[in-house]
Amino acid sequence: MKRITSTVYPLPHSHTHIPTHSPTHILTHILLVLTIAFFLTATPAGAEDRVIRVGVYDNAPKIFVSGSGKPEGIFIDIIEYIAKREGWKLSYIHGTWGEGLARLERGEIDLMPDVAYTAERDKKYSFNKVPVLSSWFQVYSRKGSGIRSLLDMRGKRIAVLEGSIQQEAFIRMADSFGLHMTIVPVSDYDKVFEVVADGGADAAVANHFYGALHARKFGLEDTAVVFNPSALYFASRKGANDQLLNTIDNNLSGLKKDTRSLYYKSLKRWTSEEVQFKLPAWIQTLGIIIGLALVMSIIGAMLLKHQVNIRTRELREANQRMEERIIERTAELAAAMEKAQAADKIKSAFLATMSHELRTPLNSIIGFTGIILRERVGPLNEEQKKQLNMVRSSSQHLLALINDVLDISKIEAGQLQIAHEDVDIRQVIEKVVQSASPLAENKGIEIGYRIIAEDTQIMADSRRVEQVLLNLVSNAIKFTEKGSVRIACESDGPNITVNVTDTGIGIKEEDMETIFKTFRQVDSGISRKHEGTGLGLSISRRLVQLMGGRIWVASVFGSGSTFYFSLPRNKRKV
Amino acid sequence: MKKILVIEDNEQNLYLIRYILEDCGFEVFSAMDGKGGIELAASLLPDAILLDIQLPVMDGYEVARSLRRNPDLADAPIIAVTSYAMPGDKEKAIQSGCSGYIEKPIDPDMFASQVQAYMQKRHNKRGNE
Repeated sequence: MKRITSTVYPLPHSHTHIPTHSPTHILTHILLVLTIAFFLTATPAGAEDRVIRVGVYDNAPKIFVSGSGKPEGIFIDIIEYIAKREGWKLSYIHGTWGEGLARLERGEIDLMPDVAYTAERDKKYSFNKVPVLSSWFQVYSRKGSGIRSLLDMRGKRIAVLEGSIQQEAFIRMADSFGLHMTIVPVSDYDKVFEVVADGGADAAVANHFYGALHARKFGLEDTAVVFNPSALYFASRKGANDQLLNTIDNNLSGLKKDTRSLYYKSLKRWTSEEVQFKLPAWIQTLGIIIGLALVMSIIGAMLLKHQVNIRTRELREANQRMEERIIERTAELAAAMEKAQAADKIKSAFLATMSHELRTPLNSIIGFTGIILRERVGPLNEEQKKQLNMVRSSSQHLLALINDVLDISKIEAGQLQIAHEDVDIRQVIEKVVQSASPLAENKGIEIGYRIIAEDTQIMADSRRVEQVLLNLVSNAIKFTEKGSVRIACESDGPNITVNVTDTGIGIKEEDMETIFKTFRQVDSGISRKHEGTGLGLSISRRLVQLMGGRIWVASVFGSGSTFYFSLPRNKRKV
Repeated sequence: MKKILVIEDNEQNLYLIRYILEDCGFEVFSAMDGKGGIELAASLLPDAILLDIQLPVMDGYEVARSLRRNPDLADAPIIAVTSYAMPGDKEKAIQSGCSGYIEKPIDPDMFASQVQAYMQKRHNKRGNE
C-alpha cells in the first residue's frame, strides 16, 4: 500500500485579519469577537487541522498518480481547491479502484472520488449531491479491426475493467442485443487498452475521459458504441461524513456557477490534452507541412516584398532622376527656344532695319535720277541721259536684289505672310503683260496671252501671284533672243494652271531641278550675260508652295521652255 | 495754296519729296522728328501730313496716334511713306491712324498724284474700321 500525503496549509482567512491600528479599543474588541465567531462557523469540521483521507486510483485524466508520484487530475484539482478553502489537510491513499471502494467501506479512507451513483452503491455509500463530472462509456477498438458499431462486436473479445459499472452495463447492453462476446476482465484501466494493443482483446470499454486521453497512445480509435451516461460523485461511507459531503456540494455549486472558476480551468486543462491526442498523425504531418509552407510562403512573401520595395525605391529614384532630367531639359529647351525666338526677333528686326537702311538711300538715288531724267531740272545731253539711265537701271537692279533677299529671308524665317483674298487670274495676267510689254518690245519679242479657263477666280495672295508670274515672264524675255513669249491660263479641275512658253535657249534635263534652288542660274557663262539675282525661281517656288500649289518646267534645250504653275482655287463654299 | 507737312528724318529724302511736291504747287513744311512734327502740325493744321515710319525716338505709329488725339487733326489725311519691310507694317500704320500708305522707294513720276489722291479721300475713322 502506497501512502501519499499532501498537506495543504490553511490560508489565512480574509476575516481573520485583525486591524492593529484601530482608533478605539472597543472597535477592536468587537471586530475580534466577530471574527472569531465567523471563523468557528466557517470551519464546520471544527478542527483546525482536519485530515481528510482520499482514495486515489489511476483513471487519468479524472484521477491518477503522475510520474513524479503526485496525485493529479480533475478530481484532485477540485478537492484540493475545496481543502484550501476549508482548511483541510488531505491525505491520499493510492490503490486500485476495487481497493479504493473496499477501504471506503472499511472506513480506512473518508472520500472516494469518481464514483458513479447506483442504487446498489447507495446502500453502502453516501454521495455528494452536485455531480462532479458527467461521463459515459465508450468502446475503443484497435485501428483496422473493423469494429465501428455494436453489431461489429459479435464474437469479439472485449476488455473491461473488472468489477466496474461499465462491466455490468456493457454486459447488460450486449445481452439486450443478443450479442455473444468474450469479456476479458482487467484490473487496471491502463491495462484495459494495453491488452487490446497487445492483441489480447479486440476492443476495450472505457469512460470517455480516459479514452480521449489514452486511445491514441495505444493505437486505438473510438467507435460509435456509446452507453451508460453517468454522473460521477465523491462518495463516503454510508452516513459517516455527511457534513463533509455538504461542504463539498456548497463549494461545487459555487465552482460550477462561475465559468472562470478553477472547475472549468481544470476541465479545460485536462481535456485540452485530449484534443491534442485526438489529432491523427497525418493531420499533424499535414499541419506541420502546411505550417512550414505557410512560414516559407510568408518568408517568401516578405523577401518578395522586400525586393519589390527595393525595386520600387529604385524605380521611384529613377523616376525622380528622370523627372529632374526632364525638368532640366525642359528648362534648357525653354531657354534655347527663348534664345531662338530672341534670335528670330533680332533677325526680323535686322531685316526690317536693313530694308529701311538700304531703301532709304535708294529712294533718293532712284527719285533724283528720275527727276533729272525727266529734265525737270534742266536739259540733258545724250551722253548724260545714257549714263543716268545706267544709274537708274543699276539702282533698280539693286532694289530688286534687296527685295529678293528680303523675301528669301522672310520665307526662311517663316515670317512671310500669305494673304487669302479673291484674285482674278485674268487681271493678274493682263497687268503683268502690260508691265512686261516694253521690255519685250525693246528686244523685238512678241508677247501674248490666252485665257482658256472659263472661271479665273481663285483665293490667293494677288501680290504674290503677280510676283511669280512677273518673274516667269521676265525670265522668258531675258532668255529669249527672238521669237515669242506666250502666257496661257487653263482650268485644271480644282486648280487653275498658268504657263509661260518661250522660244529661248531652253534648259538641259539635268538642270531642271537645280534652277529652282537658291542662287542658281543655268550656265555661268550665260548668267553674266543675263544678269539677275538667281533668287527669282527659288522665291517663286516657295511662294507657290505657300499658296498650296506647285511649279514645274518642261523644256527642249536649244528651242525653248514652258514654265507651269498651278494654284488651288480654294473657293469659299457657297 | 495747300499746305503739306513732311515728317522725315533723312535729309536727301526730305529734299526729294519737297522738290517733287513744290514742283506740283504745294507749300511744304517739314520736321525731322516726331515731336517737332506734332507741334508743327498743331499750329499749322496742314492739308496733309506725310509721315515716315522709321523715325528716331518716337516712331511713326506713335506720331500718328498722337496726331489723331488732336481734335483739329482727327480727319486730316496722314500718309505713311515708308519702305515695305515686314508683313503687317501697312496694317499697323492704318491701325495707328494713317489714312494712306506709300511705299519707298517712291516713284518720282507717280508720287505727287498718289499724295493728291489720298488728300481727296478725307480720313474717316469709322469708315476705315
